[in-house]
Amino acid sequence: MRTSRTTLARRAIGAAAGAILSFGLLTACGSDGGSDEDAESAEDFDFTCPEREDAERAPDEEANENTPFVFGTPGDPSSLDPVFASDGETFRITRQVYDTLLDHDCTEMVPGLAESWEQNDEGTEWTFHLREGVTFHDGTPLDGAAVCANFDRWNNFTGGYQSPNYTYYYSKFFDGYAENDPEMGIEAETNYAGCEADGLTATIRIHEYTANFPGAFSMATTAIVSPGSLEQITDDEVETADDPLPEYTQTADVLAGTGPYQLAEWDHSGQAVTLERFDDYWGETAEVKTLIFRTISDENARRQALEAGDIHGYDLVAPADVQPLAEGGFQVPTRGVFNILYMTYTQGHAPLDDHTVREALSHAVDRQRIVDSVLPPGGTVATQFMPPSLEGWSEDVVTYEHDPDLAQEMLADAGHEDLTLEFCYPTDVTRPYMPAPKDIFDIIASDLEAVGVTVEATPITWVEYIPTTRSGDCPLYLLGWTGDFNEAYNFLGTWFATETTEWGFDNQAIFDGLAEAAAEPDPSVRAEHWAGLNELIMEELPGLPISHSPPSIAFAPDVYPMDVSPLTQEDFSQMYFAAE
Amino acid sequence: MLRYTVKRLLQLTVALLGLTLLLFAWFKALPGGPENRLLPDDATDQQREALRRALGLDEPIWTQYVEFLGRIVRLDFGSSLSSGRPIATELADRLPATVELSLFAIVIAIGVGIPLGYLAARKRGSWLDFIAVSGSLIGICTPVFFLAAMLKVVFSQNMGVFPTFGRLTPGTGFTEVTGFRVLDGLITGELDVVGNALVHLVLPAVALASIPLAVITRITRASVLEVLGEDYVRTADAKGLKPQTIRARHVMKNALLPVVTVIGLLLGSLFAGAVLTESVFAFGGVGSFVYQATTERDYPALLGFILIIAVSYVVLNLLVDLSYGFLDPRVRVRS
Repeated sequence: MRTSRTTLARRAIGAAAGAILSFGLLTACGSDGGSDEDAESAEDFDFTCPEREDAERAPDEEANENTPFVFGTPGDPSSLDPVFASDGETFRITRQVYDTLLDHDCTEMVPGLAESWEQNDEGTEWTFHLREGVTFHDGTPLDGAAVCANFDRWNNFTGGYQSPNYTYYYSKFFDGYAENDPEMGIEAETNYAGCEADGLTATIRIHEYTANFPGAFSMATTAIVSPGSLEQITDDEVETADDPLPEYTQTADVLAGTGPYQLAEWDHSGQAVTLERFDDYWGETAEVKTLIFRTISDENARRQALEAGDIHGYDLVAPADVQPLAEGGFQVPTRGVFNILYMTYTQGHAPLDDHTVREALSHAVDRQRIVDSVLPPGGTVATQFMPPSLEGWSEDVVTYEHDPDLAQEMLADAGHEDLTLEFCYPTDVTRPYMPAPKDIFDIIASDLEAVGVTVEATPITWVEYIPTTRSGDCPLYLLGWTGDFNEAYNFLGTWFATETTEWGFDNQAIFDGLAEAAAEPDPSVRAEHWAGLNELIMEELPGLPISHSPPSIAFAPDVYPMDVSPLTQEDFSQMYFAAE
Repeated sequence: MLRYTVKRLLQLTVALLGLTLLLFAWFKALPGGPENRLLPDDATDQQREALRRALGLDEPIWTQYVEFLGRIVRLDFGSSLSSGRPIATELADRLPATVELSLFAIVIAIGVGIPLGYLAARKRGSWLDFIAVSGSLIGICTPVFFLAAMLKVVFSQNMGVFPTFGRLTPGTGFTEVTGFRVLDGLITGELDVVGNALVHLVLPAVALASIPLAVITRITRASVLEVLGEDYVRTADAKGLKPQTIRARHVMKNALLPVVTVIGLLLGSLFAGAVLTESVFAFGGVGSFVYQATTERDYPALLGFILIIAVSYVVLNLLVDLSYGFLDPRVRVRS
């Protein structure tokens, strides 16, 4: 069904060859032996799912029972009912509490609550065979009817619940609702055609296949909540889009899931969510009894708290902090990559509509330098608009090597020796795919200047950034995307489905190919489509894919961390305080 | 006195109304709407438009303003765009943290600043005076967030004496009564909570106290110096009154007038400092909330917060003005 992800990832390595020297120094702990050894270990490095370097450690039973594990998060969650969220901080917590039908192991889609699943040829009927013996935290057993109860509930949302700020992902996957509320701006008819339960089987039907499936069944938003706790909700009504979320989504004592942890407390003023181990979990029971997610929004404050021993782990480590933390004995496991940073050539601005100019600019940029100097360990140069772990990543795309002389020559041929270009970058933000926007901008700008291009720097605050770049006002700009699940459509479909002002190109072959691929229910046929499309897109060169960059996560020395996930879907039940 | 109070209250209402208008116009003029923060990066233009409509952001500005005012009058501040919770609840949840922190800071500032300023004035030109004057200059010049970060590096990271963040060690069981951790611990007799909360308060309170402390020290010093040179002090001295009586009844009472005014003003500005201090120490009070609301263009939350701060600021000032009546009879006579 899938080609091995290791093979796919290896292919990426050719493109990323020398990234590694600097990186090897960071990861190959204590090997001051010489660059050969480093280069060798880098050669084997799997950008998709790096292998763990630490050995298994014995748990410290006493600490696991008595010491709460405190994890520093960059932001508060928004709702304990995951269907109303679209942010990673909420999902980090709800993933420990609720399970989804499908799950990811590294980037591969694997069974979750469903032991196995099948689809019909049209991709409109999805049958899930659920695990036996799964119970919710409130004691109700999991069955097909429980699954259907959740999907039916979402489809029947009314009023403010239909607003995309509450149910963004649901409307993305299922287009509309049983009855669309005209006030909420959703016009498309629902793609949900019903759910049938039969014992431990649930069959979900959709009207028309889209490439969001089966990925949608792995999203934290479609996690299964106990039907018993759904019945306890009494204030389940939101009339308008700016009504507050009902109180049950903000307290820990209503909802029950099937996950390794259950909700214990949400202290809003203390900005902490506390989870307690669920002893009847269907999988392996967690070691740590109490798990606290505490918001510390400042990056430095998180690091200081870890160093002082006040917390035991935190996410979104600044790339510059990775090495000092590792040297201080802290653990900074390397995640695989699952995102993309790119620079757009907005073709509404001449002469970016000239292919030679785009090609010349692409040759001018030293992407390896960005990977080496700005990104955390595990980053790699991108050759196309999606990471190598996805089905449909192609090794046959045109690549544009760093060659300033060639770039200068091409610009001269095209008659643009004194090109002036406006270049936008966001100022007040770091994104997982873009750790230090200004530093990345500086490198690219200096590379462009080196081939004779005059760069007009245009810094823009993040809130304005997306609207400005979307409207096509920026000739060059940096942006990126982190995938939700393993499906190329989740990347390519985000940008290239139709002509837009943000890209400004009109290439019908790409648009048609994308529509065809997105409607293809057979995963292997679909992957072929995507591979061809990636080649087509890199010929068109709508922008320059720059890098894939793994967001770093850190743990205290006495912790045995869980396997880290490229999709940042860490399972906290795997982690514990180690005895030594 | 009553007439004076009523007149001041009326002035306040007009001032607050003007403030809402200004704030509203200002926020609306800022580019980049909240829909861009509320939706993920890949949301379609249709989804963004749908959300703008659903939030009423497509209506004419004055309609939005009138609606906003109507809500304020009904004491409904709406709900935060970023957390989806009612703003009143958000603020009520977080206000105790900020008030507790500010109170500790102002107690430190007053408790150290007034004696220090007084002693510096009494011993003018001594080393103590020199330290007070130069120290307060440094205090005024040091940005709060910098001082907070430095305190944390020295006392939390290097010496490990104080915790790096929060109001209590995570996982500490406590009973919530008033929301003020120290007070709650005293009420319920959970003394470990009191100790834990105090330890957490020290660094942020010291950082937050730095500017008010410096200001209070300087004002006290200057004011005491001025009063010491007044005729009535010399007269009292010549009459042979005891030095303690002169200091308490003649010097301090008169010298404190400007200090009280300044403390009133400082209380308001403490909230501004709290935004920075709280984010450094992840204190979880109103400050962190406002910081988040600012970055997320959470207009309803910001407007609600600024209004509450503005009301408390002007009320504090009114109280300060009224307290003049007690400290200085001349004010009573004039009004």
